[in-house]
Amino acid sequence: MSILSTTKLIKRYGKEPNIVNALNGVDLTIEQGEFAAIIGTSGSGKSTLLNMLGGLDKPTSGSVKVDNYELGKLNDEDLTVFRRQRIGFIFQNYNLVPVLNVYENIIMPIQLDGKKPDQRFIHEIVSMLGLEKKLYNMPNTLSGGQQQRVAIARALASKPAIILADEPTGNLDSRTSDEVIELLKASSRKFDQTIVMITHNPEIAAQADRRIRIEDGNIHE
Amino acid sequence: MRDTRDKGGTKDMNGRKDEREMEDMGGVKDIKEQKKIVKTLTIRSLRKNKGRNLAAILAIIMTTMMFTTLFTLAQSMGKNMTEMYLHQSGSKAHASGKGITDEQVEKIVSHPEVKAGGRSIVAGLAENLSLAGRQVEIRYGDEQYARDVFAWPEEGRMPESRDEIALDTLVIERLGISPELGKEVTLEWKPDMGSEDKSSDTFTLCGYWEGNLSSYASMAWVSEDFVREKCDVIGEPADGQALGLQMMGISFADTKNIQEQADRVLSDCNLSELKFTENLAYMDETQQSIRMETLPIYGGMILVFIAGYLIIYNVFQISVASDIQFYGKLKTLGMTRKQIRKMILGQGGFLSVIGIPAGLIAGYLLGIVLVPVLMSRTEDALVSANPIIFAGAGLFALCTVMISCLLPARLAGRVSPVEALRYTDTDAGGKKKMKKSTNGATLQGMAWANLWRNRKRTILVISSLTLGLVLMSFFYAKNASFDVEKYLVELAVADYQIDDATNSRVSGYDSQSQTISSELMADIASLEGLEGTGRLYSSETSQVLSVQARENLESFYDRENLENFESDYPDFPSWKQGFDAAVRGEETIHTIYGADGIILDAAAGDAYVLTGTYDADKFATGEYALAIGPSVNPQELLPTYSVGEKVAIENREFTIMAVLSPLYPMTNGMSPAFDMPLIIPADVYTELWPDSNLRKYYFNVTDENMDEAGGMLREYQQTKAIGMSITDRQSMIEQYEAETRSSAVIGYAISVVVALVGVLNFVNSMVTAIISRKKEFAMIQSVGMTKRQLRRMLTFEGFDYAGITLVISYILSAFVVGVVVRIITEGGYASTFHFTLLPLVICTPILIGLAVLIPYICFKNLEKQSVTERLRMTD
Repeated sequence: MSILSTTKLIKRYGKEPNIVNALNGVDLTIEQGEFAAIIGTSGSGKSTLLNMLGGLDKPTSGSVKVDNYELGKLNDEDLTVFRRQRIGFIFQNYNLVPVLNVYENIIMPIQLDGKKPDQRFIHEIVSMLGLEKKLYNMPNTLSGGQQQRVAIARALASKPAIILADEPTGNLDSRTSDEVIELLKASSRKFDQTIVMITHNPEIAAQADRRIRIEDGNIHE
Repeated sequence: MRDTRDKGGTKDMNGRKDEREMEDMGGVKDIKEQKKIVKTLTIRSLRKNKGRNLAAILAIIMTTMMFTTLFTLAQSMGKNMTEMYLHQSGSKAHASGKGITDEQVEKIVSHPEVKAGGRSIVAGLAENLSLAGRQVEIRYGDEQYARDVFAWPEEGRMPESRDEIALDTLVIERLGISPELGKEVTLEWKPDMGSEDKSSDTFTLCGYWEGNLSSYASMAWVSEDFVREKCDVIGEPADGQALGLQMMGISFADTKNIQEQADRVLSDCNLSELKFTENLAYMDETQQSIRMETLPIYGGMILVFIAGYLIIYNVFQISVASDIQFYGKLKTLGMTRKQIRKMILGQGGFLSVIGIPAGLIAGYLLGIVLVPVLMSRTEDALVSANPIIFAGAGLFALCTVMISCLLPARLAGRVSPVEALRYTDTDAGGKKKMKKSTNGATLQGMAWANLWRNRKRTILVISSLTLGLVLMSFFYAKNASFDVEKYLVELAVADYQIDDATNSRVSGYDSQSQTISSELMADIASLEGLEGTGRLYSSETSQVLSVQARENLESFYDRENLENFESDYPDFPSWKQGFDAAVRGEETIHTIYGADGIILDAAAGDAYVLTGTYDADKFATGEYALAIGPSVNPQELLPTYSVGEKVAIENREFTIMAVLSPLYPMTNGMSPAFDMPLIIPADVYTELWPDSNLRKYYFNVTDENMDEAGGMLREYQQTKAIGMSITDRQSMIEQYEAETRSSAVIGYAISVVVALVGVLNFVNSMVTAIISRKKEFAMIQSVGMTKRQLRRMLTFEGFDYAGITLVISYILSAFVVGVVVRIITEGGYASTFHFTLLPLVICTPILIGLAVLIPYICFKNLEKQSVTERLRMTD
């Protein structure tokens, strides 16, 4: 069963005569539970595709269907609610909220959604990621690897169906990178989650179920 | 965790879902959790923006303070003015009537709509010579009536037995006794107004209260027994008589439609023959004029709102713009538009919690200081501490803050997560596509370009500064146009004017009265530094008007003119009686003034000549007279003798030389309801009426001898002529200043605060602009701009700001002063228009100084970090 699909997805940036064709009619289907790696050179449209899948950006034309929801038909407000309930994002630059401590960062999307955090589950993730001792630290006191783990914990905390990760290991050393990928894979198995991950690292890409290559806005598998 | 998807997955996924449905997908919603995180984020991000908070709180404090001050002023002025009108009308009762019998009183009081009724029976007017100039009414009054007319004894009690009396301190002082209970008081009065026989009664003082000069008369309360014993009828006495006149004051549940309510009560009681009149103070017109007086204050509130909006909006807009990536991040992580908006508004609310109470306290303190200054005319100004003031000011301030935060909150809520990462703090659209220039990058050019990177903000800051400056120019020019001399000539023509004790007596002026005695004249003549004098005599004669004068009267007072006159003139019926008699050719009272010196020169001054020409030498020959007409613009047709007509006065013939507009210092005093005033030279007057004494005397002294002259007059007044009235120019000037002070102080206070708000706005914009460009500066420094050059560029930016503000302010102020102030002041009775932009001239160097200083200080701060440190900095 496909959980993510795009049809004739086109995204253009800018105005005449400086139009950039970021995506050139992408048709893509990802099955539930799949671990897909998106690879491609810088400027090939990887991040644009990921943003479209997560509803962070609106396509110029074409459609994105996530978990049977047609994203183009949701308004801004509904899209935000949809995102925080179903999608866990992990960014290269972590995107932690600097004014909140580690624990608050992890549970923020759940609270924003008006739900009580499942303490046992949070505890499970936190111990899996080795963050028990850092729960009350502020983000700027953590190392890059620790920050990325917080971001992963946050992405997992709301038990999303889909995890979208934009170079989650881009700022990490190789040992930490391996750990992070292991964690993601373990989580995905345990919770039957779909992972779409952008990466430059061929070793990581090799671990994925599927590799999607993007060049000049078109995909090649 | 799968419940989420199962529930959502079975729905028709193509349709748009409303938010409630979306929210429900995740199961039970816990609003408390949502609120908690929004609150946490609100407070934490507040803590991060300390500089912004300081600017915002200062702005909120100033805004609240001005609102509180204005509310306090509006309330207090309204209260004081109502109080003043109540004193003027003499009673707090809603409606009053007279000529009412005892049975009628009972009927009216027992009517269910009458909430309170007081009554009083008049005996007569006190005629003691020492009370001249003050009307003292001997009456019986019940408690309600006494309280209604502000004459309830604060010490002692109302009289009960025949020989008791209660008086106010003004009367007690004039009678020359000390205010002590048990003192003996003798009053002279005429039981029969028609005869000259006076009755003299002695009472014991049983109560007294503080007298008020703004009330038209003082009450002398005697017992009911005393009055009833003296009169045969209670109710409506015969024409021209006062003894036995019963009056009533009644009040209703509310002050709406008082006249209607009173008429209804009377018709319900079958007493339609009686007439109740509405209290002047409660009339719509009066309330309207009170509202008009307080109108400028409400105008001030709008200005405060605009100024508050300009700064609070700008502070929040800058802060949201610089934190836009933070908001974009929150949105990416699932914060909805509404939640972000709530967060910004919450920050505004939180800052208000600190700023508003501080502003309320500051504003109240300022109000306490200002109200007495503004209300110096009434002896004890009431400072209103009504909770409504604080509730109102707080609410207005909160509204200003919230409205100011609305747009920034929308901006933050609307941000698209991806665009937030690319956002720069400049206007969207309207960007320059190209710049055709080969001059290279000059510092001035770069500064100018930087200024317009955010056009909206620059315009906002300039508007904020300009508003304050233009307001200041406006108020200054308006106040500067008040003309003391013009004001004084209407009220005081000499340094000192003394009036005979009977000048304002209700029963009329007595030309035999000896207040201005030869002894006093000798004292004045021997004063050092005496510069000029003027005499004024007056007598009344009765004679028939000439045919020409009668025609003039009839044509001047055509029907329309009469109707207008009727509505503004309270004593119209008596006037009309005299007028009709005069037109019919019956004898008419002529008031003959004998004048010379200062008063003649002033009264016949060019501005007062309505028709004809005044020639001082010809007038001095004694063959000419001047007629006084109404206070109108110069014109040919006037309701008096025509110029050139011959009039006989006491068998001597005079030719009318000119018709004059009346001059207050000459004509003020008691005069018949309808008369023909004429002026002849004082020397001729004394030949015609050798027994007549001076009515008024005017003199000027040099400034150094002012105090001595005043002291001499006051001593004479206290020891020898209690009823004599002294008008001195100095105290008139003081009173004048008190009258003009209120608008001046409010105006300056508002414009100074608005200007301060403008400066705060400028400082905030400049500081944040420099801080947010830290990295950019590091970049241009890294490619070769020296510190000196950078500092100069920033200084140029400040200069540009100040320059544009000043240019616009000068242009706008010139317009506002030259056109608006000119229109306002040219019609004024006491103003002469002068074009001035003095406040702007004074503010010019201050503004330029600030424009240079602020960037300099900011840059000093910036320099502490090295270029590479700044270049590497990430937020």
